Amino acid sequence: MGARMIAVGVALCVACQEPERQMPPAKLAGGRVVDLIPLSLSGESWQDAEPFLALYASNPKLMAASAFTPNPGGSASATAPIFVSDDGGDSWTLRNTLPSQSMTADITHAVGGNPPMLYAGILKVPDFPLNELKANDFLSPATMTLQGFRVDIDQPFVRTSAVGNADRVYVGLNDFDAPDGRTATVDVSLDGGTTYASRRIETRNTAGQNGPSIRPAVAQDHTIYVAYFGWRSNAGADVTSDVVVVRDDSGAMGATPFRDLVDPSDHLPGRLVATGVTIPWSNAPTLGQERIGSTLAIAVDALHSDNVYLAWADRVGTGDIYTVHVRRSSDRGATWSSDLRTLTNATDASLAVSTNGTAGLLYQQVTGSASTSRWVTRLEQSRDGFATHQDVVLATVPATTPAFQFLPYIGDYNCLLTRGNQFLGIFSANNTPDSANFPQGVVYQRRVDFPTHRLLDGSGAPVAVSIDPFFFSVPVLP
Amino acid sequence: MHIRSAMLLAVALSFPGAAVAQMSRAALVKQSDIIFIGTVTQVGAVAVPEVPPSERTVVVRVDQVIEKPAPVALTAGDSVTVEAARAGSLKAGIQATFYTTGWIFGRGVAVREVGHEPGQSPVVAADAREAVARARALVNDADLKAHIQRAAMVVAGRVAQVRPAELAAAPTRPRRITEHDPDWQEAIIQVEDGIKGAQAGEQVVVRFPGSSDVAWVGTPKFAVGEEGTFLLHKDSTTGSPLTMIAGRSVPAYTALHKVDVLSKQDATRVRALIKKP
Repeated sequence: MGARMIAVGVALCVACQEPERQMPPAKLAGGRVVDLIPLSLSGESWQDAEPFLALYASNPKLMAASAFTPNPGGSASATAPIFVSDDGGDSWTLRNTLPSQSMTADITHAVGGNPPMLYAGILKVPDFPLNELKANDFLSPATMTLQGFRVDIDQPFVRTSAVGNADRVYVGLNDFDAPDGRTATVDVSLDGGTTYASRRIETRNTAGQNGPSIRPAVAQDHTIYVAYFGWRSNAGADVTSDVVVVRDDSGAMGATPFRDLVDPSDHLPGRLVATGVTIPWSNAPTLGQERIGSTLAIAVDALHSDNVYLAWADRVGTGDIYTVHVRRSSDRGATWSSDLRTLTNATDASLAVSTNGTAGLLYQQVTGSASTSRWVTRLEQSRDGFATHQDVVLATVPATTPAFQFLPYIGDYNCLLTRGNQFLGIFSANNTPDSANFPQGVVYQRRVDFPTHRLLDGSGAPVAVSIDPFFFSVPVLP
Repeated sequence: MHIRSAMLLAVALSFPGAAVAQMSRAALVKQSDIIFIGTVTQVGAVAVPEVPPSERTVVVRVDQVIEKPAPVALTAGDSVTVEAARAGSLKAGIQATFYTTGWIFGRGVAVREVGHEPGQSPVVAADAREAVARARALVNDADLKAHIQRAAMVVAGRVAQVRPAELAAAPTRPRRITEHDPDWQEAIIQVEDGIKGAQAGEQVVVRFPGSSDVAWVGTPKFAVGEEGTFLLHKDSTTGSPLTMIAGRSVPAYTALHKVDVLSKQDATRVRALIKKP
């Protein structure tokens, strides 16, 4: 916590790391925050939690996003929506293209090649089977095509890479039908999602299963890292877990992939980055109305696959509820730093590494207490492994309102990506139109009245405050 | 009013194709979530840039909104992009009642036509509104009747107790820890009025998800003291179809659809629907 702050760029604020800071955060030049709810859904008051984002490298104008946003047509609707933008995130439309009844129970997605393909992994409503989906043109209003399907799956997490004309798709997931309780799995497709092979990545004994978060990250040289929680035992609500990283050096093309990184302690695949950590598994409002227990993220430097960053959350036991840790490896996961960042009472950590090697860390942290507590969403950037970093507050909103409608409150995860000289991401937060809540500024598409801090429907009537997804972009440190 | 309504109903409905020519207004309403009276202002055009124009897209000025979901911002005077069910079926200048579903939501609303109903010119808004409301009531009654017919038991009563469900785990399927775990609970309902398959004085056990997870949002939850009319289905969801009550093994039921839990006053409506042919 003693990291020295650096000032970068014109009007860059030096934001204090301490959660109880009193100085209002200032605006960073070039930062942008956009509420995704479109004008024509101004009456919306749903809890649009757990947002996700996909970017097209071939066309920076195109983006896809999702959240637990229902089809406006209601609960009987046969399809669920995604958001799309064709102007670089300045505006978004909602399109009902997912084959799930009104909403999904989990969704992530990533892009493929041209035409602008989109791959998605969802838990479909009803009954919650995994659907691995593809859209040949994500701007098309056509329903996405089903490519893979099975039951007893949790938290599909989609990543892609392009090789020639065939996209490779990697879906990290917790497969409860995997043998021997080694449930951490990556569904690998080397043919654009036409066929998938389920690759088991856990090689050690578990407490009957792995944790739900199985997170792949892909570099341009086709090195793939996957992070997961190796649950070893549980007592009550606390799970004792290892934090494990596996690696494959050739795009997971072999019959037994993800075995290129071995731990020196037992010579088994999967480097044990941390062992015996305590994961507080709480499926009830625990941290600012949010549940906790599955925060995990990994990012690789796409151009230099030796460099990889890892973030997870556990309970340290020093009075914390939930603490995010960030570590780095510069030798392909063989050795890892100690904590570069230790963030108390934080969750939803997401990582990305820009083309110039700058690491980005998005997280959401509860500050203050009781009725004055706030969810603070921050993006930190560092060029030196977080010895120093730039801290940008994207949002600081009340943590006690609105009351949760369901869990997750803001998400079991959010999303940070990078393209060119920008970090781009998405988070969910209280949508009160109050400029003080959004230090980088904020643009609403939906109808609002800033002077009175009110949301308005199409007729001008007040709308209750709720949770909305917010897209953001922040310039990468030069 | 009755004569007007009868005239309106007698008007030949204009449907986009032969296959749907026999659809009733109720069928149109059943498939629609945005219904409005509007006037076609442009053909082969769009009102918002997010929607690509085609020979099937028309721009319709909204004259009266009859039904829409609460989140949707749509008021008289707005221009809506309508994707017609059939190219050429909507001519500039016609006024009609449009039955539609939401398509693309951006700066404006784009909808897909289910059907349209040209009435008198101009359309008498009050008549159209009343006709749609009557059709919606028919649809709701038909849906509820279907639910009643599928239900193994229909009772009016009061929740006397809520307890955790003790499910018999299948030997090959250990209990999994997932945020989507339903956390099954059991509500014991004291039957006050046995409407179908039960008698007053009985107790029945209804399983419901106690979880607040997103997967179970909208699924009815039960609380002690809650009164209502309950449409109960034999439990085919948890994998454990029996439960215990007062030392006896009895069937367990579920009520997982929002229509499965109605107000106590709805018992009268339910009885009437059961009797209705």
